[in-house]
Amino acid sequence: MMTARTHQIEVYDLSTWFGPKAVLKNITCHFSDNAVTAIMGPSGCGKSTFLRTINRLNDMIGNFRMKGKILLEGEDIYGPQANVYELRRKIGMVFQRPNPFPMSIRDNVKYGPRLHGVKDDNELDPIVEKSLKRAALWDEVKDGLDEPAPNLSGGQQQRLCIARALSVDPPVLLMDEPVSSLDPISAQKIENLIVELKKDYTIIMVTHNVQQAFRVSDQAAFLYLGELIEFDKTRRIAEAPADERTEAFITGRIG
Amino acid sequence: MSSDSCATSGTANETASSAPEPEIGPTRRSLLWLKSQLLVKTRREAKDLLLKILFAITTLIVILPFFLIVIQLAVTGLSGLTLDLFTTFPGASLTGGIRNAIVGTILLVLVAGGVGIPLSVLGAVYISEYSPPGRIRSTVEFASDVLAGIPSIVFGAFGFAFIVVFLNVGMGLVSGGLTLAFMMMPTVLRTTQEALRQVPVSLREASFALGATKWTTTWRVTIRAAFPGIVTGVLLAIGRVMGETAPLIFTSGNSLTTPTSILGPASWVASLPFTIWAYVSDPRPYLQVKAQSTALALLVMVLAVDVVANYISRKVTRRLV
Repeated sequence: MMTARTHQIEVYDLSTWFGPKAVLKNITCHFSDNAVTAIMGPSGCGKSTFLRTINRLNDMIGNFRMKGKILLEGEDIYGPQANVYELRRKIGMVFQRPNPFPMSIRDNVKYGPRLHGVKDDNELDPIVEKSLKRAALWDEVKDGLDEPAPNLSGGQQQRLCIARALSVDPPVLLMDEPVSSLDPISAQKIENLIVELKKDYTIIMVTHNVQQAFRVSDQAAFLYLGELIEFDKTRRIAEAPADERTEAFITGRIG
Repeated sequence: MSSDSCATSGTANETASSAPEPEIGPTRRSLLWLKSQLLVKTRREAKDLLLKILFAITTLIVILPFFLIVIQLAVTGLSGLTLDLFTTFPGASLTGGIRNAIVGTILLVLVAGGVGIPLSVLGAVYISEYSPPGRIRSTVEFASDVLAGIPSIVFGAFGFAFIVVFLNVGMGLVSGGLTLAFMMMPTVLRTTQEALRQVPVSLREASFALGATKWTTTWRVTIRAAFPGIVTGVLLAIGRVMGETAPLIFTSGNSLTTPTSILGPASWVASLPFTIWAYVSDPRPYLQVKAQSTALALLVMVLAVDVVANYISRKVTRRLV
């Protein structure tokens, strides 16, 4: 019997494999609603795999296997009744590199709602405006919505990708190192945007940048070689890491 | 130059200084450039220069045939390139125009493209988007690579034996068009596959992450992003089969007019390359000229297709990616 839902995303005893290689090992954690959780860890520790398991993007990879449970609003997303398309509508994702579709800015934002049955331009146009405003991009592009998205700068493209993810109103937003490919000024803008967005969204962000995790997140998880070493309030981890591996990572001794 | 030296050095020097040094004419500048290029100081530099000249000459030889062909066709064929050539059908003793061949080539390409393009594009989509990497994929890739290298006369012989005789279609538009379609398929398949492979995985993932199905992602994102490459491949394949004679010799028949039916002898169809071949083989001098004019017309048509392919791929690439 499941307990009453306390969090939008809960993970119980999650393990994953690619072929024979174990990537994540027995991870259990609850992500706070309307907060930013940073998943930190050195390269290859399974951060991205963890994130991509939450929206089942790893399903596409042939030799991927998982065990354990991930609950979205109390329902097992890998359960037999789960609808992967609806699940992905509820869990938006922003990727490491900006990946706008090769179409106009407007069509990029319309793409998601159209998939889920919104066909009428009278409904789509307000969604476009709202999403771009939420992603702090509207003022820069409102006069050129029909311009090709790939003409935007890298930082603008990444904000467009955030707008595209927000267009289908997902309660949860996954971000896979969303600023690591951007210049410092664009990165700053997007960090501010993330802090702004957490009022309305549950954000899970992968980063290998400790300082960024401390600046932006409320909760932090430290993954090391596929194990969840530490999961707590970011401030607590920053001030007094409980595990020496966490301390070694945040002080830059391992990375 | 100082005024002091001017005063002492007489008229010759004065005329020299009246032409101010910084303003060198374009001819003189290129001569100077050439001189600097040819300035040999050491053995190593001499070797470097020799190799440079060698490469330049090689490049020249490589591109020479193109210009020679254009010049040769222009010299011998331009005189026959009248409006009548394009608008009239061949008359008695093959006087008149080549309208039959122009229309015939267009019809053959339409049949070949209409059958070959959708099949090979869909096949490429299946191989690169749906089939798992492994046996099936590498078998198809191997087969189409081999197919692309098969001499065109073999396609002609196959088209005759299989379509004309075995399937009992008979010679004409359908058999000729299908044979050309077989020739197009490997090219279109492989270029489409390559174009799809160039589309970053992250674009597909962005679509999946929004809740799109495989098909929606493939149709609205992947194929769309690969479109310029696909169009280029299709047009190059069309350009190639437009100029093929060998596949048509035993399959399309020949005709002095345009086909009036889909099957049967009334569907026999002329084509530009076939016409060139027939006219060049004919001893009558005016047909020799007409062969050159026809070759020129074919060359222009193939070039036009290539130019369009280039234009589309550049234009669409700029707009989309």
